[in-house]
Amino acid sequence: MTQPQSSSPDTQWPRWEVFKQDAPNRPHQAVGSVHAGDPQHALLTARNVFVRRPAAVSLWCVREDDILTATPEELTTNSALLDTPGEAGTYHVGVKRTNKRSMTFVDLSGTVQASGSGDALRQAQSLHPDVLAWMVFPETAVVRTDEDPGTVESWFAPAKDKTYKQQQHYGVIGRHVGELKRAGLMPGRAASEEGA
Amino acid sequence: MTTTPSISGTELTDTQTRALLLKLTVLADDEIILAHRDGEWTGHAPILEEDIALANIAQDELGHAGLYLSLAQTLGGSDPDQVAFWRGPDDYRNTRLVELPKGDWAFTMVRQFLYDTSEALWLEAATRSTYAPLAEIAAKAVREEKFHVQHTALWVERLALGTPESERRTQAALTELWPHAAQLFQPVEGEAELTASGILTDLNAVHARWSDLVTRHLVDKCGLTLPDAPATQPGRDTHTEHLAPLLEEMQRVARQHPDAEVW
Repeated sequence: MTQPQSSSPDTQWPRWEVFKQDAPNRPHQAVGSVHAGDPQHALLTARNVFVRRPAAVSLWCVREDDILTATPEELTTNSALLDTPGEAGTYHVGVKRTNKRSMTFVDLSGTVQASGSGDALRQAQSLHPDVLAWMVFPETAVVRTDEDPGTVESWFAPAKDKTYKQQQHYGVIGRHVGELKRAGLMPGRAASEEGA
Repeated sequence: MTTTPSISGTELTDTQTRALLLKLTVLADDEIILAHRDGEWTGHAPILEEDIALANIAQDELGHAGLYLSLAQTLGGSDPDQVAFWRGPDDYRNTRLVELPKGDWAFTMVRQFLYDTSEALWLEAATRSTYAPLAEIAAKAVREEKFHVQHTALWVERLALGTPESERRTQAALTELWPHAAQLFQPVEGEAELTASGILTDLNAVHARWSDLVTRHLVDKCGLTLPDAPATQPGRDTHTEHLAPLLEEMQRVARQHPDAEVW
């Protein structure tokens, strides 16, 4: 680890990873992070930042310090990660399968019983050998939104009515690439394949 | 007037329509002006996350104003953009509470807390309005407002119980804002008749619930002191010197491009 150059203390609030569930029966997905002073502040801030649009039904926040992540490359050069200590108990396992999604990074895929963070990581590795990265954290570290109707109604329901517009909705100068493709005006592969 | 809307069996008399138009304008004006003050934090909030949060809250409040003004339009009022961008300080009917300069973060959060709690309680009662269009608006807006209350109540608590400096600033904000807060519960002309017919909620009852709620949070939970409030309030047609420059900035683009159709 490189040490910070400055000797002044880090005054930033802790970072919390935010997991959003889009619908019941879907996995919670890591969508980004927020800085917040305490668990309740983290949840409220996560709602403001990540639940405007589209819809969500549940939010989790987990402090960065409670999360262990690793890529296959990291495990090759630093196998000591598998010895990372931690309390025994239930651990959540997340996996990153692709770089192609722009808004979610890691899907939670289930839980394992482990003797510590390193053990949970080892189990994650054997359950999901062919992924880009693993993430594990103990169940006890999770801060959740309430499931009562009042919370669902005020935290999540308003976003359902709001029009969510993908980036491509917004105007472009000239014509949109999709329009050009359909008109056969795009040079390159798309046009030549159509003509073949 | 022969075109008085009749919705869900509620027939408004001309007097009721006039009073309701005024009430909707008053409600929208508070939302618009507060949203502008919140928007002034864009790019300046303490941390990025709160920058986004406050911008979102401002958008919600503007959305509520849009709901009120759209309903007013169906009752014979002007186009919402006309109402927002082409009236000057003499015609705005917002409270002084919302037009005061944005101050520091504690001032912004205390004001938002006083306002959000009053709006949430009023909206909750308004969901039971006998005038269906208003009840529908209230049902939609109250959901967002309940979340706003949670956000700002948390901030006021953290600031009041934080460091000596944050406590000092929070108390200073409350001391400055408190005398203006009761103006939120000032009835408009003709409101009594609308309340009697169940179209509007009883403002005194909302005021009592609000006093109880904010006192429990600010005094009991946060350890703040409520200063004395004046016995009477000026009318909503009396403004501080801060409203005119706010409107000048807010309305600049609209007034520079009066013929713009999309903006």
